[in-house]
Amino acid sequence: MATEDERYRQSSQFRLWSFSPTSLRELRNKTNDLAKQQIAPRFAADAQPEFLTPGEESTLVQFFTTELIRAAQFCELPTEIRSTAAVFFRRFYITNSVMTYPPTELLKTSLFFGCKAEGYYIRLAKLAEMFPNTTSEQILAGEFLLCQGIRFAFDVRHPFRALEGAILELRKRLPEEEGRIAKAHAMARDILKFSPLLTDAYFHYTPSQIMMASLLMVDKELVEILIPAGSRTGEDGDKHMGSNAEMREKIIRTIESCRSMMEKEPPQRMKEYWETPELVKSLKPLRKKLQKCRDTDRADLVALQRARREQATTKVKKPTGTVQSDGAVFGEAMDARDVKRRKLEGANDLFGPPL
Amino acid sequence: MALSPVVTTTSSAQNQNTENFQTLRAVSSPLKALASGSGQTSSNGTPKPALAPAPTGQTLAPTLDLAEQMNEEEKRKYVKGKKLGEGTYAVVFLGHLRSSPATRVAIKKIKVQKEYTEGMAPDAVRELKHLQELQHPNIISLLSVFSSKDQNLNLVLEYLPLGDLEMLIRDTDNVRYGAADIKAWMGMLTRAVWFCHENFVLHRDIKPNNLLIAADGEVKLADFGLARSFADPHRHMTSNVITRWYRPPELLFGARYYSGAVDVWSVGTVFAELILRAPYMPGNNELDQIKMICESIGTPTEDNWPGVTRLPEYTVPGQHPTRGRDWYEMRFGIVGTDGVDLLMKTLSLNPQKRITAREMLQHRWWHSEPKPTRKDDLPRKDESAGEDKMGMDLKRRPGMVADEDRGAKVARKLDFGQR
Repeated sequence: MATEDERYRQSSQFRLWSFSPTSLRELRNKTNDLAKQQIAPRFAADAQPEFLTPGEESTLVQFFTTELIRAAQFCELPTEIRSTAAVFFRRFYITNSVMTYPPTELLKTSLFFGCKAEGYYIRLAKLAEMFPNTTSEQILAGEFLLCQGIRFAFDVRHPFRALEGAILELRKRLPEEEGRIAKAHAMARDILKFSPLLTDAYFHYTPSQIMMASLLMVDKELVEILIPAGSRTGEDGDKHMGSNAEMREKIIRTIESCRSMMEKEPPQRMKEYWETPELVKSLKPLRKKLQKCRDTDRADLVALQRARREQATTKVKKPTGTVQSDGAVFGEAMDARDVKRRKLEGANDLFGPPL
Repeated sequence: MALSPVVTTTSSAQNQNTENFQTLRAVSSPLKALASGSGQTSSNGTPKPALAPAPTGQTLAPTLDLAEQMNEEEKRKYVKGKKLGEGTYAVVFLGHLRSSPATRVAIKKIKVQKEYTEGMAPDAVRELKHLQELQHPNIISLLSVFSSKDQNLNLVLEYLPLGDLEMLIRDTDNVRYGAADIKAWMGMLTRAVWFCHENFVLHRDIKPNNLLIAADGEVKLADFGLARSFADPHRHMTSNVITRWYRPPELLFGARYYSGAVDVWSVGTVFAELILRAPYMPGNNELDQIKMICESIGTPTEDNWPGVTRLPEYTVPGQHPTRGRDWYEMRFGIVGTDGVDLLMKTLSLNPQKRITAREMLQHRWWHSEPKPTRKDDLPRKDESAGEDKMGMDLKRRPGMVADEDRGAKVARKLDFGQR
């Protein structure tokens, strides 16, 4: 384990959750396609709803990310936990559609599990109290789903520590410019708390690249100081210099592209855009559309979770040899629609019905 | 961590991840992938959507989300075999790779814990979180994770058939080992701990039965159920970690801010145990533990550890002088003067003066005679004993001394309900 780069490449954030823009787009399209295929049979042929496009899904995920950030602020959760929760939420919706699982619910689950993953044990009941009409059971219902959706990778690498490091370094190099550095520090931190979470920055860039991009947004010269042009003279002369210049150019290009991504969602956008009544109003048609095309069978996570648990229990019972009809097992606890579904499912079971 | 070097690997990231998902994308219909299987339903037991006849004459609706497909793929890679052990925390199975039955694995299925009503158990979350990130020859590898139908977590771990260090230490009748063997084991343990710390992870439960042995003799640090990342400055941590006999004085005194030094102390106590072939300081309770430390090493005082008397639970039973080099030489002399020096530095009362894992690796003991034994030549137990032992070790709840299966409350109380 030599360099920090190599170490980063071992992280789950890199191995499982870094993508090229193309492959990320393909994944989202595929998720959207699959959701449509699954939901379509729930509706009659002549009453097919209009489904969300991948673009519309992204807009909704973005909007609910701002809701998540607001909720985390309301609950006074520390910055890192808030960011972890937001990253979990966004990762979940790479391979799950908002049409399949309700973002309003997963948002709370992400906050709860974000706390847990960061070792910050907030009482479930206490968290539930913070939200209107929310029970502990509701928050918990999506937990396993979320964990699976984030591929059991619970460690998120944030740019905050990198920023602290960079600021220490700058203070050392520019002892005269305390005020300027303090200002850049505060502004960059504000950016990091918002812009990378509202964009795909975490999926494409490393924490240090994101951090450098935030500094680039607030004070370009500071980045020049941290990544100086051709200042380091290598022992092996020109050749070393050449590769250094090349490397620097590559680094700067990467940071620049990260910056242009994050500049689409500067922190001011929270107040000036996402929280405005106009925006909330303009999203109404989209949310209505979601209501009409969502997977009604999976919108209620609590019922879904109960059904899964019961399904598991039944599975355990099977080997004991008691033959039970689906109705007898599932009858009471389930509503009629579920029973119907189970029966249909039984009919399609490759093993056939119980003998 | 001052300025971290900027990583510029976007292009290789792209390649890798394209590969990751290629298999998925190559499959045109998710059903096709499953058709070859034996009619498995959704991995986590998602009630299937009704397969109503498609009105437009299209094919059947796919039953799995992308996330479920990925899970299914992981699950299908392994075949679960016989049960190796079952505890309150987990059930451990022997398993093998479907594609290559000779490649064996251990599948640790985390039980849903009835006493913990707030979802997935924190021990499991911690273990998964850290094992996902740490890849090192001396740390047990997490090969895969999947969920099974009853929503239990299954951790696929590398199979370590030769038991653990505790077994070797205790079996004084059949297992003989010497200074060169101890040096080899200690080297592997130290590298594991160094790697954790280098990655900003505290293990917090180092002890001989968490040091498992691979078929080739390699020692692997296991059980990350109590691990955590280094805290940011000023954020406190719980002092109720590490199995008692291996717990350092700062934790016994209730310190809320601590460092990798806690693990180094544990490494020191394991070192001593390897030499003595018995636990060095087997305290019966926390007070007794402090007493043993005072007697065996010395009473922590403001002289040898400035600030110690201000720790929240500082109490000492009496004043014992700090043991000198001669005292250690008499008991631990078989590892030589350099070995004794290293041991003394790991058991420094004051955590700030305690040697770090990195400094341990730079210690001269590794270069002095005898050279560490090659791992294939290390003493070992036979495989049948080891198999059971892995089952025992993996199912145990973190933070437990082997003989106090139920009583201990270490992991139980960890951090819960503080806010």
